[in-house]
Amino acid sequence: MRWMKSIGAATIMLVLMSLTLSTFASSHKLVLTGSSTIAPLAIELGRRFESLHPGVRVDVQTGGSSRGINDTRKGVADIGMVSGVLKSAEQDLQAFAIALDGVGIIVHASNPVTTLTNRQIVGIFTGRITNWQEVGGHDARITLVNKAEGRSTLESFLAYFQLKNSEIKSHIVIGDNQQGIKIVSGNPHAIGYVSIGAAAYDAQRGVPIKLLTMDGVAATVANVRNGTYPLSRPLNLVTRLPPTGLVKQFIDFARSKQTHDLVEAQYFVPVSVD
Amino acid sequence: MSKLFVNKDKMSYLLRDLTIQVLIYSAIVCVSGVFLWILFDLIRGGSALLSWQFLTDVPRDAGRAGGISSILASTLLVLLIALLAALPISWATAILLTEFISAESPFGRWVRYSLQVLACVPSIIFGLFGYAFFSLYLGLGFSILSGGLTLACMLLPILVSTAEAGLRAVPESYRLSAVALGMSRAATLFHVLLPVAAPAWAAGLLLGIGRAAAETAALMFTSGYVDRMPESLLDSGRVLALHIFDLSMNVPGGDAPAFASALVLILLLLVINLVAMRFTYLWQRKKLNAE
Repeated sequence: MRWMKSIGAATIMLVLMSLTLSTFASSHKLVLTGSSTIAPLAIELGRRFESLHPGVRVDVQTGGSSRGINDTRKGVADIGMVSGVLKSAEQDLQAFAIALDGVGIIVHASNPVTTLTNRQIVGIFTGRITNWQEVGGHDARITLVNKAEGRSTLESFLAYFQLKNSEIKSHIVIGDNQQGIKIVSGNPHAIGYVSIGAAAYDAQRGVPIKLLTMDGVAATVANVRNGTYPLSRPLNLVTRLPPTGLVKQFIDFARSKQTHDLVEAQYFVPVSVD
Repeated sequence: MSKLFVNKDKMSYLLRDLTIQVLIYSAIVCVSGVFLWILFDLIRGGSALLSWQFLTDVPRDAGRAGGISSILASTLLVLLIALLAALPISWATAILLTEFISAESPFGRWVRYSLQVLACVPSIIFGLFGYAFFSLYLGLGFSILSGGLTLACMLLPILVSTAEAGLRAVPESYRLSAVALGMSRAATLFHVLLPVAAPAWAAGLLLGIGRAAAETAALMFTSGYVDRMPESLLDSGRVLALHIFDLSMNVPGGDAPAFASALVLILLLLVINLVAMRFTYLWQRKKLNAE
């Protein structure tokens, strides 16, 4: 009996080891980690890339832009996903934009305000304007929805309006875009800022929110694409070294015309490289 | 005169009983009301999408279309690994703590204290630990295996403490009778203590399964985000809770499939609960009646 047991144990060990080896031996696996905004798009890009290159696997992991940067630096990931422009401390990485994402101001659909000037927006977010009456709305206190520290939407917003996060007098701090949309759709006096694509998608389908015109330019995907809408951020793939081999193939593929439909299906704006 | 007083007394007793009854029933209504409300909300939002095809198709278009077959497979695999790793360790620990060392011994206290601390640790900490230890240090990568092992660490305190409480609830006279009959320690454990404590163990197991199946934060960094059908335990696989979180927070238009997936998760837990309770009942009856 005893020898049977040890043979059994050895077999299990062997199976486990071969499993381990076979997985690590395959060099045809691309690991992408990073921004949760890009992750759904990256999964779709990966699925199409896999169908074009049999034997290749594209594994996408989420966790935020900062994880993408860390994992890429450490070599845990082949490609990082980073939304927003790389900061000065991140210039050691190579960035390749695959799409643009506009950032728009949203309010509840019942709010009579349809446009705000940059001055008014700065006033509202720094707490100088606290009532909707002051910008042409009802007599109601403004509920300010801000993004959490480290979110790249926050960084684009602050950079555009030349604000510091400590100056913003927020009532609610949120993480993802959908959370912002849900909060604003449930509070008639709230104001927040989220990805234009996501907001336009939900507004079209009857969620009670609306995108405000900013400095005379309507917050639409079309205006982000033609460059007239001022507040947008790039969605990047980043690598530690100049890309070669499979990594280069994937990045080129992600920036090519054959993926524009996938980018648009996630409500982002494709960037033309050629 | 005196009769009147008695009646009045009786009335006040009746009134008091009635008040307490009403309070107790309203508490029950509150508890089950919350569950029914959630269930109703999920059924309303998700039943339209729920179909056999939803259960057998892989997700497409970031989860807006297609189904959740691969997600279900990953969820069950992660759960299986977590239980396979955690159950032997935690149940053995519980048996050691109750049957083999005294409750007041420094070692027992230390083990119990460390388990209590472990129970208070937020799940994201387990996630980061699993990411650093299983995924990177042990080289398991982002895989179902590292996710399951991370969950196993998280389940230890629940499983140990419920199993320990179950064993402690067995009357001391049972142990004494067993000793008087000349039964060995192992025989006492398997033929007397475990069958009596089985319902408590099953309850602990169900709590553990519930916590594991609902876990998002600890798995985001370990078992990961890949929504493909897993081919081995070293593949990354997205679990249901993470899928629901991603659909409702990160994917525009993901609410309907998120509701449907949440409904599947609740139904899955209900089925596991019913099966486990039935199984425990049958096993206990067979074990206690046969001997």
